[in-house]
Amino acid sequence: MSNSANNPALPLAGETPANFRRVHFLVAATLVLFFIAPYAMSDSRVIVSYCILTAIMAIMSYGVDMITSDLGEVSLGQALFMAAGSYGVGVGATRFGLSPIATLFIAIFGALVLGALLGFITLRVREFMFSLVTYCAGVVAHEVVYNMDYLGASEGLLGIPALEFSLGPWSYVADNNIRLWPIVFAILLLTLAFMALFRRSVVGSEALMSHLNPALAESLGVDLRKTRLKVFLLSAPITAIGGWLYAYQRNYVGPDAFEPYFIMLFLSAVIIFGKRLLLGPLFGVALILFQEKFLSLGGDGNKVFLGTLLVVTLLVLPNGTLSLFKKWTGR
Amino acid sequence: MQFSYFVQLFLNGAVTGLGYALVAIGWTILLGMARLVNFAHGTMYMLGAFVTWYLMQAHGFGYLPSILVACLVLAVLNIVVQRLMVRQIQSQNLTSIMIITLGISYILTGAAGLFFGGTPQNIASPLRLLRFSAGEVRMTGQDLAIVLVALAVYAAVYLFQRKSRIGAAMRALAEDGKLAQLYGINPSLLLAAIFAFEGVSVALAAGLIAPRAPILTTMGFQEVILTFVIVVIGGIGSVPGALVAGLALGVFISFFSAFVSSAFALAAVFTTLLVVLVARPNGFRGGV
Repeated sequence: MSNSANNPALPLAGETPANFRRVHFLVAATLVLFFIAPYAMSDSRVIVSYCILTAIMAIMSYGVDMITSDLGEVSLGQALFMAAGSYGVGVGATRFGLSPIATLFIAIFGALVLGALLGFITLRVREFMFSLVTYCAGVVAHEVVYNMDYLGASEGLLGIPALEFSLGPWSYVADNNIRLWPIVFAILLLTLAFMALFRRSVVGSEALMSHLNPALAESLGVDLRKTRLKVFLLSAPITAIGGWLYAYQRNYVGPDAFEPYFIMLFLSAVIIFGKRLLLGPLFGVALILFQEKFLSLGGDGNKVFLGTLLVVTLLVLPNGTLSLFKKWTGR
Repeated sequence: MQFSYFVQLFLNGAVTGLGYALVAIGWTILLGMARLVNFAHGTMYMLGAFVTWYLMQAHGFGYLPSILVACLVLAVLNIVVQRLMVRQIQSQNLTSIMIITLGISYILTGAAGLFFGGTPQNIASPLRLLRFSAGEVRMTGQDLAIVLVALAVYAAVYLFQRKSRIGAAMRALAEDGKLAQLYGINPSLLLAAIFAFEGVSVALAAGLIAPRAPILTTMGFQEVILTFVIVVIGGIGSVPGALVAGLALGVFISFFSAFVSSAFALAAVFTTLLVVLVARPNGFRGGV
């Protein structure tokens, strides 16, 4: 169904060295500015909180980006992995008093197990069947979490301690947003590096090939099912790490992790500027959260805005808003 | 435990299941005939219920006229959705269609929240007051209406598909759209009719089922799941299959809730679906 002609967002193959350097410079400059912003405006709690939430949501969006942009599927169950990360912290820290490193391992392990399970079930289904199964998995997980006392049921788990790292006599306690920021930003950078490496890797190429032309990919020896499973297993921990950070940032985890809002946010962030853009999800999340934080229309009004943004982008600019800019500038 | 208790459980399950089947009929046709999906289906159910409630509360409409107007509103809305997605439908770009309908679902949820408010509401159907009983087994007029309308709609759709020229044209469209076009069938018109039917059927289902419980603008997600389970287990595009699957699902949920746990009934249904999908990735009839 899809082919490379429909995907002008496929990046950089024909970039000139000058353009390539310019892109790298812009990416680096954007990230430096983003890193400085909370310190420059540390008096404003709203701006610090906006920056930190943007980074955390962007990290989670990259998990969705991998499946949507590279594999060409729509995973509506990504909240499951986010919840694996958040509940890994909730259970590990509040029930067993585990350290952040230990809860990080739990989060990643939990996401891998769930990813393998969901990946196995969806091995032979594609497109809407894949999306619906992942969607159902999310809704059912919500029902299970909502009714399990051990996971805090409808109340969730309160009292998650601040993120704290210690090495011998040295310790760092991220007990407020500004102190959490360097950790969140470092993980965002690692996520970006991981995405860039993935897209240059064999698995990344195989995922793209199996998305754009499955028949050709198979004839060239790509095992479509294995590729799908691998991408799923790579994507799940990324979103889970975002969920892990989110739990420490809020000091709380609850069934609201399964709200449809999150999947709408992640999908919109991936699509708005165009797929397979390294900073696309980061800018997408930044734009959406900017509207919510500074130009809020209320809960229901924000839903209308986010839904409209997604629908209009796909109907009018299916390759993302950046394609319009490229058309104007002739690039 | 008394025999009448089991009969009551079965009856409750059958009513609920036929209600599910009624919600699912529009999707069955959309998927079977047009090979398309609509993730806003559950939200359309919510909207159908709220339009019915609003007309009765704010404009003093009767119960039946309210349902009829809700059917009309949802039919028009669904045709608008279809017209918006013409390009994606023509290219069968299912990924975009899924995300667009998901976005539309989110817009409708937000808009309904703004317009109808966040308070739970009740549809004051006069059929709820009618009571029938045989020994210790009881049923309301609302339950009876769900059973009768669901069976009538399924019979009508089945006969329409098999016996009418439009039904034959729809089957041709599902079989080979391009060939059907060469034969003189207008796919655009047929698609509009299919979308309109989806809207009418889901509004009708909402008007009949929603009076059984309070309605909220956030509802609709469970309906999507149950519809999906029915469509897959019943066999994609199969009208009798969807009816049987809906009935079976309702009875299963009724007994599971009574004897195991009502909180985990949906999880149990989904597990069943997963088993089906692992064994038969395209459902019992395959096809898509």
